[in-house]
Amino acid sequence: MRKQESLVTYFDWPLFIVYMLLLLMGIATVYSTAYNADHPNLFDFSQKYGKQIMWLGISLFLGLMVFLIDSDIYRKFCVPIYLFTLVLLVIVLFMPAVNGARAWLGIGSLGIQPAEFAKIGTALLLARFISSINVKQQTIQTVVYANAIILVPMVLILLQPDAGTFVVFTSFLFVMYREGITYDPVILKIVNAFPGVLFKKTWVGSHFIPILFVVVFLSIITLFMSNEIITFESFPGIEIPGFWGVVFTLAFFGILGMIFLRFVSTKRERNNASLVIVIGFVLSSILASIVNFGFQGLASHQKVRIELFLGLKEDPNGEDYNRNRAMAAVGSGGFLGKGYNNASVSSVESNHVPESETDFIFCPFAEEWGFLGTILLIGMYLFLLLRIVFIAERQRSTFNRVYAYAVAMILFYHFAINLGMNIGFAPVIGIPLPFFSYGGSSMMSFSVMMFVLLKLDSQRRDVLQ
Amino acid sequence: MNTDNRKYVLIAFIIIVGIIYSVRLFYMQVVDETWTLRAQEIAEKRKEITPPRGVLFDRKGKKMVSNRTYYNLMFVEAKMKHFDTLAFANLIGWSKEHVRYRFYEIKKGEGKYRNKNTGKTTSNYQKIRPYAFLKELTLDEIAIIAPHLENFPGFYEEVTSMRSYPYSNGANIVGYLSEVNGEEIDEDNFYKPGNNIGRAGLERFYETELRGRKGIRYIVTSALNNAIESYANGKYDTIAKQGPYLKLGIDINLQAYGERLLKNKRGCIVAIEPSTGEILALVSAPSYDPNLFIGRRNISNNYSRLLSDPSKPLYPRPLAAEYPPGSTFKLLNSLIGLQEGVITPESGFPCNKSLVGCHNHASAGNLPDAIKHSCNPYYYAVTKRIIQQNKKKSVFEDAELGLNTWARYMRSFGLGSKLETDITGLSGGSIPDALYYDKWYGNHRWAFSTIRSISIGQGEVMLTPLQMANVAATIANRGWYIIPHFVKSIGGKGPKAIYKKKHYTLIDRSHFSVIIEGMRRVVHEPGGTGKRAKLKDIIVCGKTGTVQNPHGEDHSTFVAFAPMYKPKIAIAVFIENAKGGGGLWAAPTAGLMIEKYLTKKIMEKERETTILNANFSYR
Repeated sequence: MRKQESLVTYFDWPLFIVYMLLLLMGIATVYSTAYNADHPNLFDFSQKYGKQIMWLGISLFLGLMVFLIDSDIYRKFCVPIYLFTLVLLVIVLFMPAVNGARAWLGIGSLGIQPAEFAKIGTALLLARFISSINVKQQTIQTVVYANAIILVPMVLILLQPDAGTFVVFTSFLFVMYREGITYDPVILKIVNAFPGVLFKKTWVGSHFIPILFVVVFLSIITLFMSNEIITFESFPGIEIPGFWGVVFTLAFFGILGMIFLRFVSTKRERNNASLVIVIGFVLSSILASIVNFGFQGLASHQKVRIELFLGLKEDPNGEDYNRNRAMAAVGSGGFLGKGYNNASVSSVESNHVPESETDFIFCPFAEEWGFLGTILLIGMYLFLLLRIVFIAERQRSTFNRVYAYAVAMILFYHFAINLGMNIGFAPVIGIPLPFFSYGGSSMMSFSVMMFVLLKLDSQRRDVLQ
Repeated sequence: MNTDNRKYVLIAFIIIVGIIYSVRLFYMQVVDETWTLRAQEIAEKRKEITPPRGVLFDRKGKKMVSNRTYYNLMFVEAKMKHFDTLAFANLIGWSKEHVRYRFYEIKKGEGKYRNKNTGKTTSNYQKIRPYAFLKELTLDEIAIIAPHLENFPGFYEEVTSMRSYPYSNGANIVGYLSEVNGEEIDEDNFYKPGNNIGRAGLERFYETELRGRKGIRYIVTSALNNAIESYANGKYDTIAKQGPYLKLGIDINLQAYGERLLKNKRGCIVAIEPSTGEILALVSAPSYDPNLFIGRRNISNNYSRLLSDPSKPLYPRPLAAEYPPGSTFKLLNSLIGLQEGVITPESGFPCNKSLVGCHNHASAGNLPDAIKHSCNPYYYAVTKRIIQQNKKKSVFEDAELGLNTWARYMRSFGLGSKLETDITGLSGGSIPDALYYDKWYGNHRWAFSTIRSISIGQGEVMLTPLQMANVAATIANRGWYIIPHFVKSIGGKGPKAIYKKKHYTLIDRSHFSVIIEGMRRVVHEPGGTGKRAKLKDIIVCGKTGTVQNPHGEDHSTFVAFAPMYKPKIAIAVFIENAKGGGGLWAAPTAGLMIEKYLTKKIMEKERETTILNANFSYR
């Protein structure tokens, strides 16, 4: 059956094209921000842009290799692959520390970060595990196994320490949530331990992970906004405290959701959903006020400690804090931007924004292309993420679907946290913007991850498992 | 359990985060200006370029005050690598501890920021900012250090401009520069820490002209404060403009000669060109070499020493010191007597020593002879007639009326208040009027006999040497003066309107010739008190004065102008505590100055030697 079809008959071109576009835009931005007048050649391998092009070539080559291998291999060899990445994670702990973390394997700029590849290994094994069990009867055992698969690499990564990648690994919880593996059995066990109580399932237990995500996301945004005052240039009289900005935004989304429901659901569903939205709004507002007023009410030294942790407050020993500089670069872009190669705050040469070619690459892009550029970039990432979700949902096999969701959620985390720290919505934890940031490890691992997905997808028809 | 619907939760998360971020970016990039301003603050720096100050020329176009290049040894701590304190200490010839202390000092002191509102100071020293380790090095000094600076990364030299004085004269005229203080920075936003400001003399008076216009460059800087490129291709930049040059009325050769003559003496010489009011020379003795006050190191080494010197070299005597004018004042009393009609040129008064002391001479039968002999009883009589004109019945009320009339005449000569001369540190002197004596003695409790010492320029009458010279210039002009001033033109334009205006006295022009004849006799007739001022081919008109002084020897003074017709120079000489009268020391000094100015050479070498050798700087 397969013999009559070419290798690319079911190849997902839209996903591949947006992936390639992001890579090329990333190289263009690296060329602009790290531009060295002494080495103007884009292909100068002594420069970051030259190296990035080299990494691009290597990544595409690796991608081709991955694509030529039958997708069965990943299914069959997921355990050895997972164990191999774990071994690398252990070895890296004995390497000399770079910038305070033992994250690099290899020499100098040619090193790789095993943590990047551990994501692929974990995604494959998790897919294999979930596809092998009957999740309709999830037990404490399956929950523990699934969590263990994630936790082992997480612990090793925390030992490096690499807080950013550690946080990214929690994205697998969403994959488990989609597949029905939640903390409900655990919570049921605790709740049902009380005499006379016997629940079949709990709503909180089932939706524990998205609720947790909402709580954390909302809390962090409220914290960041609690010191801000929203002003409007055109209406100088209006000053909205950041907290009320959060509440208004919640209300706005609630109303938007209700209008959306009018068009897509039946009346009965609508009533239920409306109730959920209203309760959600009330609960979210209460949470936001607890966070806001709790934070405001803290003793000043505790407040300072939290502010320092979040990067809100200037480090007394530091020249200036990165977040503020990054936001200045992004915010000064304006509507149309300062023009390509014209970033004044975030060019590597000026060094006002450290790491402006890696973790803060969004800064020079936003500074040069303005709001038009940033909205385009967000649109491209949303397309990429939703396309992967779409791909995931069209898979016949659980293995493929779980893997595709894992890719989607990992990329979503990177996107949300990386952009968040550029616009003051997330603490500064160093994780790259996928396909965009300078760096061989992340480009290679994301590319391999992508091509495995493309391969699995292209063979979706002959898989019956 | 069907979990398919859960995909909507994940899709919703992705979309909501996307929307929230888009809204946030729209707010940050398009709506809110805060971040744009912050970015400018971070990356776009305003760099000020201080231009060299305007230079000063004398009346012949000789450069009196110019600029010279000096070097600051700068450092940026963030760029220092493997700093070898000992090697560096050896290079600049300091001890290791001294080098360490200097770093400490800069960190604590020179990065100091004073909050305008709270007045609190905090150190805002930053490792990435440049600071001067050594300031104001000469070319010779930097030449030793510069070749080795490559061994000390983070250190570099920076050019700065400072004053230089090709002639070591006229320190009290030009003044000096020093670093601005916090108050001055707050008051005038022209100044930034480290800038210089004029502290005295012309440097201070013409500060706003001399400092020029600062240039401003907007540059995009890096985090290490390095300039990367000019902002908007220099569209908003302005070019620094040097202050305009000042052309002075001073004749630097005459000034130098005057300073030489007053060596080892305390006193003043002021010379004015009567027709223009330009000050030709203004000598204050003792003075100092203005080159001692170039730069911080020099000032800190010399300032307190000069300030505590009992002979007060920093004190601009010709401008600030108030002396009784002595007998030179008789010229004015004569003029007032003539104008009031209480005497005529032929009036004679006996030399009655019972009224007031006098030296031995024949009684003066007319006014010129009275001036020639400087007869005290004569002026006692003249001034009594001015004050007591018997216009009122009460002798006291009569004296009040007479004194106020007298004071009005005096003020018309620019006495009793500050002249509007273009320099700082002026005094006004004192011309007593009725109100003045009422305070001393009570209303209507005094008459001429109480205040008679004003008739011979003693007592309550006080003049600055500048005013004395201006009186001489006024007489030379036969009744008017232009306010004495230093600056002829600023950048080729000038003089200012106030230095063109003639100020007429209340004395008619016709009364001056008899006084001038008396002044000629003082110098050129046998028995004249000022014969030592006599010159061969030039008629000098002068008047001596011997000022009694309760603290020591009499002061010797002389006012004069020459030539008699179309006068070119009016002069006042005042020598403190000179043993002997005005004729002995001040007159020959004035004579030498006039000769020097008018003929460029000195014929009477003996007279010059006598003055040069005189030493009155004891005590």
